[in-house]
Amino acid sequence: MANSIPGSLPYTDTKPVGSADFYFAINSTFRFILHRLGHSGWLRYLADLGTGYYAPVNTQWRQGGLPAVAGYWRAFFAAEPGGEVDVQELPDRVELHVKVCPLIKHLRAHGRVPVKEFCQHCYHLGTARAGAAGLTMRLCGGDGSCMHTYALPAAKLPAQDLKKIKENLP
Amino acid sequence: MIGCYDFCGHYEWTFGWFERVGGHALVRAYWDEAINLDSQAHARDLIKAEGIPGMLKYWGHTLLEESPDLGFHISHREDVFRIDFHQCPSRGFLLRNDLKNYGDYCDHCMGWTGPMMKECGYQIDHEHNHRGQCWWEIRPAGTPGGHAPVGSVSGDKDARLLPNWLAPGAKLDRYTKANDPDDKTP
Repeated sequence: MANSIPGSLPYTDTKPVGSADFYFAINSTFRFILHRLGHSGWLRYLADLGTGYYAPVNTQWRQGGLPAVAGYWRAFFAAEPGGEVDVQELPDRVELHVKVCPLIKHLRAHGRVPVKEFCQHCYHLGTARAGAAGLTMRLCGGDGSCMHTYALPAAKLPAQDLKKIKENLP
Repeated sequence: MIGCYDFCGHYEWTFGWFERVGGHALVRAYWDEAINLDSQAHARDLIKAEGIPGMLKYWGHTLLEESPDLGFHISHREDVFRIDFHQCPSRGFLLRNDLKNYGDYCDHCMGWTGPMMKECGYQIDHEHNHRGQCWWEIRPAGTPGGHAPVGSVSGDKDARLLPNWLAPGAKLDRYTKANDPDDKTP
């Protein structure tokens, strides 16, 4: 990894923000996995991605705690085009207030239909990453605006209700 | 959330995951079904409708977004569309960040463009050196002959003229009038 500064992105590119058309491929990847491997295969993909590809981030979070989590998400959304996100660091948790999700915004703007489970990916992936870092993760909302919470175990967040994550409808 | 800033990183990781879960056939199916037929359907529609001018519109837009510092060069004539990558933004991201979860990341380009071009009536001549340099020539299917001579289409922008084209660590994969990612000759 090119960069291991706590709270920053563990990878670097030569351009300041990503290319939004790649969001199409993320949605298509989910559709392909759901079609070929079913819902359980998709959950396995997200869990493996969370603990595999994102392992350097999880390590940053485990070592740096909530300031590293907040720093990561600030850097993350600064590099994603078109979003509007407020990252709040509280004593026992970090809250991501996603007012405009860059991914859903771009898909909708280009007539792409997200898979109905699309917004659940943030919960399943986030839970795998948080778990590896000794944290818990919860999500509510979806389909364009939502709130993510990454918390210390001491915060004793109530169990995730998947019904609080909106399905993505055509 | 999965981001687009590091897309090439988790995209490459995903190839390796598919290979472990379903073997090479699943990786090939992913490139064709998810990337060619779904994600990049706009490219296929444009090229099917307009041919080489459609290729110019598609890659002119997408490469400017991916590589604003212009690490590529596009050449086109009535009978051929060519791209020379001097600094592939995608492979370059992986090299800079030391990411490798799949055997040959570069295969993904032929993995989705090959079937797309076949459906649109074109074949591909191509070489990549696995170090972020490659070239592509796309001609109507049935065009005879092998690779065009160095510099004959893109002049001094031909990637094969780069001093590091065959640098240590560079290993050429070659495709001749191909549409299949497995039709390469080392």
